[in-house]
Amino acid sequence: MAKVSPLTFGAALAIALLVSITIAVTIGPADIRFDEVWRSIGSHLGIGVSPLTELRDGIVWQLRLPRVLTAAAVGAGLALSGAVMQAITRNPLADPYLLGLSSGAALGAVSVILLGAAVLLPFAAFVGALLALTLTLLLAGSLGAITPSRTVLAGIAVSALASAITSFVIFWSVTGDSYREVLSWLLGSLSGARWPAVGITMVAIIVIGIPVMLTGRLLDSFAFGDVQAASLGVNVSATRWGLLAASALVTGAMVSVSGSIGFVGLILPHAVRLLVGPGHRALLPLSALLGAVFLVWADTLARTLFDPREIPVGIVTAMIGAPIFAFLLTRRKSST
Amino acid sequence: MSHDSNSGLVGERITITADGSLLIDNVDCTVAQGSLSALVGPNGAGKSTLLRALTAVQAPASGSVHFDGNNLLGMPRRQRARLAAFVEQDSTTDSSLSVDMVVQLGRLPHQSLWEADSAESTAIVSASLATVEMTAFRDREFQSLSGGEKQRVMLARALAQQPQLLALDEPTNHLDIAAQLAVLELLAHLRTTGVTILAALHDLSLAASYCDHIIVLSHGRVVAAGATETVLTEALIAEVYGVRASILTNPVTGKPVIGFSPA
Repeated sequence: MAKVSPLTFGAALAIALLVSITIAVTIGPADIRFDEVWRSIGSHLGIGVSPLTELRDGIVWQLRLPRVLTAAAVGAGLALSGAVMQAITRNPLADPYLLGLSSGAALGAVSVILLGAAVLLPFAAFVGALLALTLTLLLAGSLGAITPSRTVLAGIAVSALASAITSFVIFWSVTGDSYREVLSWLLGSLSGARWPAVGITMVAIIVIGIPVMLTGRLLDSFAFGDVQAASLGVNVSATRWGLLAASALVTGAMVSVSGSIGFVGLILPHAVRLLVGPGHRALLPLSALLGAVFLVWADTLARTLFDPREIPVGIVTAMIGAPIFAFLLTRRKSST
Repeated sequence: MSHDSNSGLVGERITITADGSLLIDNVDCTVAQGSLSALVGPNGAGKSTLLRALTAVQAPASGSVHFDGNNLLGMPRRQRARLAAFVEQDSTTDSSLSVDMVVQLGRLPHQSLWEADSAESTAIVSASLATVEMTAFRDREFQSLSGGEKQRVMLARALAQQPQLLALDEPTNHLDIAAQLAVLELLAHLRTTGVTILAALHDLSLAASYCDHIIVLSHGRVVAAGATETVLTEALIAEVYGVRASILTNPVTGKPVIGFSPA
């Protein structure tokens, strides 16, 4: 099958991302033009003067831009983590939340919302995600040598437990306003994303995500399993656990600001594979770029589709993701 | 054949255990440099396990492995992968890698993580494909190939590592007869380029026709090793495999062929 050149696709995605971010910032109740967006951003970076009134400039700089940038970073992080998880577990259905991460984060988040300490939400979600991951690995380890399949099974068990506790807590004590808050977080939402969220997610992408993107050759060597990777001089267990930990940290950072947004990490790596092929040197950065573009638009839909009401972006990604997933399944069937 | 203690592959006192059971029991074995040798034995004798240890793909519980004086178990992994290549039995993947990309994997020990493929690397990949006569298939998807074609691609992948030692686990498994002979002919050809080759084989007639040395493994121990004609006797086959063997001569090649009947 003719594939798209990774460089061409990458350049197209990079341009699409810049354009998408700018357009997404213009979209919303207050009418703001394309050029006004750039000049406003420029003024905050010390270049020129913002053409907008203080109120409208605030909408760009305080509300829409941080939200759109967070969407881009979260989309990139989830798609990258998904691609890595799929490679190291050799499981095409692996997603970033595989090892109990989202359920642990949800439990942490719901707990602090109910305790009235919602300011701690990102922190609690992150801690919850990492606790769940630790529990998953401990459980997998207690079953014998830690293998990908045991780890996935342990993750399912931990997820089920954390979800049950979360449901219990919600059922027992959630009322009125906090119910909405909890539900919107559980379904994945970027409505609260401001500059601190941009900071958390961008740091995760730059400090962990970019080094992970450079491991493509190593992930390629896993195509035929651990023994072949080892025969090619790869330190199999260090690579596997290092990348697993890195993806978990990225996912933890993303889930801490956005709640668990499904399908991005599962679907987008498959879409990129269809277009440029399975080599991870191209797959990892391109998945991240496509994830960023995808979530910017999904979130724009989430906040405008039923204007003035906003829906959780997780609903939008599921609405788009589930049919694509079904399509990929039928395609997979016909190709094997 | 030269036989000083520093040349070729030398495994000493290799012991391998898994989940408490002893798979390889204090095995000593040597493969002469530049030879094409066979590792034979019944299922479960530990052939695959021993091969992986001899190429340092999986470290044994104890023992040492040297190749041409280099300590394979002690050297850095990447350096080892430039010296010794291992071809697994029945390599399978879910990935839609092309033949070209599969062979490229063999360049991994020679490249840093994020450098573009050098012209030299690309040339080595092409040469490896040419050696196994798979050049015409380089853009095909690996998974779409036949068993024999896959095996030749995996061989090219190993050659792209530019190894001096090549170990293969049942390279003729599940192949039709023509493909089996093609693989062995290839190994015989590679051997003339100076590569030391050790292949685990099920088919004793193939082993006897193509290999100058044979190591016989049974229940995790070496029960016989040496030149093919001295090792592969009717008595030994009866003892190790529990069948009656008749060693005949192939009228075309003059090489031994082995007929079997129940003991």
